[in-house]
Amino acid sequence: MRYRVRHVTTYAYATPVDLAAHVLHLSPRSLPHQEVRQAHLLATPRPSRLTDGHDHFGNKVSWMFLDLPHERFEVTVEATVDVRFPQAPDPEATPPWESVAAEAMAGGPGAWRAAEFAFDSPMAAADTGAGAYVAGSFPPGRPILACLLDLNARIRREFTFKGGVTTISTPVSRVLAMRAGVCQDFTHLMISGLRALGLPARYVSGYLRTKPPPGVVARRGADQSHAWVGAWLGAAHGWIDLDPTNDLVVVDEHVVLAWGRDYGDISPVRGILLGGGRHSVSVSVDLEAL
Amino acid sequence: MDANIPVRSIYAVLPDTRDDTQGGASGAAAKDEMVDGHGGLRPHWRAILATFQGFGEHGLSERAARLDRAFAEEGVTALLPGASPDAPAWRCDPVPLPIPAGEFVDLEAALVQRARLLSALLDDVYGPQALLREGVLPPAAVYGNRNFLRALHQPDAGPQAVSQRLQFYAADLLRGPDGAWRVLSDRTSAASGIGYARENRRLLTRVLPEGFKLVQVRSMRPFFDRWQDALHRMAPDGRANPVVALLTAGITDPQWFEHLFLSRELSCALVESGDLTVRGGVVFLKTLRGLQRVDVILRRIDGQQLDPLELDGRHLAGVPGLLDAMRAGNVRIVNDSGAGFAEAPMLAAFLPALASRLLGEQLLLDSVPTLWLGEPHALARVRQNLPGWLLRDSFDSRHAPVAPSELPPEARGALFERIGRRPQDWTAVAVVNPSTAPCLTAEGLQPRPVIVRLFLAFDGERWQAMPGGLARVVPVGVHPGGALPQGGLSKDLWVLTEDRADIVGPGPLAVAPLALRRSSGELPSRVADNLFWLGRYVERLERAARLVRAAVARLVRAPTALPRELAELHALANCLCDAGMIDAEQAKPSLLPEALLSMLARTREAGERRPRGSIVRIFGEIARLTESVRDRLTGDMYATFTQTLAAARVETEQSGRSLDGLGHAMVAIQRFCTAVAGAAAENMVRGGGFLFLDLGRRIERAQAVAGEVGRALDQPAGHIEIGLSLILELCDSAITYRSRYMNALQAAPVLDLVLADLGNPRGLAFQLAAMHGLLDELTPNGVGGDHLAGAAAGLLAQAEALVSDVLAAPNQAATAATMPRRLHEIAAGVASLSDRISRRYFALLPAAQTLGWGEDAAAMSRDAK
Repeated sequence: MRYRVRHVTTYAYATPVDLAAHVLHLSPRSLPHQEVRQAHLLATPRPSRLTDGHDHFGNKVSWMFLDLPHERFEVTVEATVDVRFPQAPDPEATPPWESVAAEAMAGGPGAWRAAEFAFDSPMAAADTGAGAYVAGSFPPGRPILACLLDLNARIRREFTFKGGVTTISTPVSRVLAMRAGVCQDFTHLMISGLRALGLPARYVSGYLRTKPPPGVVARRGADQSHAWVGAWLGAAHGWIDLDPTNDLVVVDEHVVLAWGRDYGDISPVRGILLGGGRHSVSVSVDLEAL
Repeated sequence: MDANIPVRSIYAVLPDTRDDTQGGASGAAAKDEMVDGHGGLRPHWRAILATFQGFGEHGLSERAARLDRAFAEEGVTALLPGASPDAPAWRCDPVPLPIPAGEFVDLEAALVQRARLLSALLDDVYGPQALLREGVLPPAAVYGNRNFLRALHQPDAGPQAVSQRLQFYAADLLRGPDGAWRVLSDRTSAASGIGYARENRRLLTRVLPEGFKLVQVRSMRPFFDRWQDALHRMAPDGRANPVVALLTAGITDPQWFEHLFLSRELSCALVESGDLTVRGGVVFLKTLRGLQRVDVILRRIDGQQLDPLELDGRHLAGVPGLLDAMRAGNVRIVNDSGAGFAEAPMLAAFLPALASRLLGEQLLLDSVPTLWLGEPHALARVRQNLPGWLLRDSFDSRHAPVAPSELPPEARGALFERIGRRPQDWTAVAVVNPSTAPCLTAEGLQPRPVIVRLFLAFDGERWQAMPGGLARVVPVGVHPGGALPQGGLSKDLWVLTEDRADIVGPGPLAVAPLALRRSSGELPSRVADNLFWLGRYVERLERAARLVRAAVARLVRAPTALPRELAELHALANCLCDAGMIDAEQAKPSLLPEALLSMLARTREAGERRPRGSIVRIFGEIARLTESVRDRLTGDMYATFTQTLAAARVETEQSGRSLDGLGHAMVAIQRFCTAVAGAAAENMVRGGGFLFLDLGRRIERAQAVAGEVGRALDQPAGHIEIGLSLILELCDSAITYRSRYMNALQAAPVLDLVLADLGNPRGLAFQLAAMHGLLDELTPNGVGGDHLAGAAAGLLAQAEALVSDVLAAPNQAATAATMPRRLHEIAAGVASLSDRISRRYFALLPAAQTLGWGEDAAAMSRDAK
């Protein structure tokens, strides 16, 4: 599938900002099954300094500095991306989940990178409650992908998609108690639970196509930045992306922007401002299938 | 004294026969540094003991007392003048810890290897991560370590992109019962203690000069010279005369003294995060003359608090964009932000394997035996011999180890339950009894367990150890290995040398010729701000003392006040209220005694609200500001400031609930203010720092004179004489007036003397003229639009006009009684000038805030999802 991404973030400040420094995670990363044909980042006012590079996780990152007073900051990214992630392997052919956890803990050649995502991170530490919930899909010896698909379906079934009841800092335990939230909450919940079992899981940010394919029900979380879970199946099978908000295996309706241990690693627009007073933000996202 | 000194006369209790309480059930008996356990003295102690014996019976304790006093005077012991005397502080034992030359050579070689190893470890972990890929390090060693800073990882950079992340390294060592040295902990972030080591040496040399005559002790100075050269050479692109800044958290940092000390020793600017700004990928220091480029930063703050943009954005500590500047190669940071990673106590278990993989060498110096509990079976080994092990955090080296065998059964059970849940977070280190060394106690010399901290710096080509170090006595019941405590008993470590020739460092660095400067434009704005307010507060304190004395004199003299004194007291009460020393409802003559006494009583009642101008608050502000500008004061000035301030505080606290005592306390306060003024006038170079201190004093005094004269003139015209005599008293101008006009009190001559006479240092005109001069010096020709010097001149003209109007009036008294309004306007004009000075020079910045962490991210998710 070929998509056109357009993502506009606008900050409006009550008083002028004298000096601003931003870290942006807004350029889609190139992957074996995701080709970024072209991508443009445009900011107004024009930054006084712009540096591009990669972060620890290999995501594209831009550092942007504005040292003239401004009351508004707008950054737009436009990209054309081809995606076709492989179909999931046969769940029953994947290894038992306990052996995947042991493989991650041991590290070494095939597992050292994945192992990082089994450890706690500030917004998604291993959580006992989430672990107990997730464990319902992980009976001893069950192949890992079978467990994950079951869990993905349970979250979609048992949680209510509802904006405004959580914020980005709502703890996983609260989301679990309310059985409600948005895509970030479900993603953090699933990651915290998998980490409680010693399994590597990562936070993937990106976009979901705005109009569903013909004959398919409308997806949740389109028109916005979206988030889902990357789960590790062991060195032999690698990673698979699962969208618990929509009970989907990521194949060709999603575009990957970046991944990290949790939202905090890859917040799309982060910054430190001098001045500015109160601010408001508006975000618009469009993922159009070409 | 000959070499066969009777050992029993040295130690009151022999170490090898005493009851060994330190070792517990586990360790072998500790070794002693001085005696050999067979009734003999180790050879390298002979000359030192001979010196001590020459002192006579109480000679050594007298030196110890002098050493304590020297420490107190230097301000090493107490962080803030007047801080609680019970606060932990560093003391130095007069008995040094000598290390023979050959032994130090071996230690240095082993620690140099360790520094190279930890440096190579950092370069791999923040670069290609081969150790993880090959499984030499388990994933938990890196990803479980909170000091692994992902923002510092440069996966795509070549190996030479950032190298030498470690430039300064320290190790804590102990000598075990077998006589071998072992490393107890590694310090790679911003190791502290070197300042105390250097200070011990400096003061011991002063107090115990004989000791250094009989024994050849290596000097530490060449080490600092080489280190300073190395910092300069590190500047990007080999810039000539680079600016090196020592970054500190300021006076709240427990190691503030050391930061001050190091910045002087290494000739670098002492800066806080707020003094720095990054523009266009370059780091600048905000100074009075604008932005000055900074090339090298000697980091003495936590590595995670360096750049809120990329490290911990939920706190605003640090300099946004600093890491971007570092990656661009425009600034060097020593040690690298991420260097704290290598301090993790669990790494000691992997060092032999790392040495073999990274250096192809065998480790020359062992750590204290260490087990990482993330390894299978490690926990079982600990449980088998509980008294033989201490437990500590695997990654946070600041926490002291815990002895599980000393815990009550319940606490031990809870601890092992926590360990069982996350064994990788725990590391066990073997109990090894440190050697003992003689320390002076009330009962003579006693053996005490000691550990030592040694320091190494990279000079651009190789590592060098400082010949010296900080030896510390381990207090009873403490298991060493955690962060350097805030105080304790230390010892000077002497590295002995066999011959007189000291090791000579490289020749001085070729420095480009310096341009001559007569001004101090590089003064950081924050320092100017602090000096300005120090000047204001010292003057405010002086005015307060003067007002209280004037009031007390009247209250003591006349228990039943005459109408004249009542009028004076009324005016004084209003002045005290204006100064914020008493509340408005207390500003009546009848309530004044109680108000004045309760003002001091409040010093003892914690928690009670104090008026904003209370003397106690002013004391606190002066102490804080003095400490924060300490790097701009000479040692003598600092001592004058803090000692007279402490004396004034003591006098104030002891004044009791009597007006008489209050009067005495005010005299002590005035003595402090005079001492500050004298010390500043005689010791500070004009311009720069002195200029702002003086400007603050002048502003405060001008404002007070205008305000108080206004209050005193606020009388019925028939009683104006009462106000005039009070004015002369408050402005300390009565004698001058009498010598000029005899005793006839008239409005115009009095007001001329206190408002318009340029020669009266207690008068208004003198202050305004001085402000004019100072401001003109700061910005000659009034460059920059806002003509501050002109504003001061305008105020002076107002004061002169006021006096002329009174002089020309047919009824001087009646006209004078209408002047309070105009004096109030002048006082307001001075206050507004002070605000304009602040805005112009002190770079008042708007509040900083973060985006993308908290509510705006929430807003995003509220938007639609």
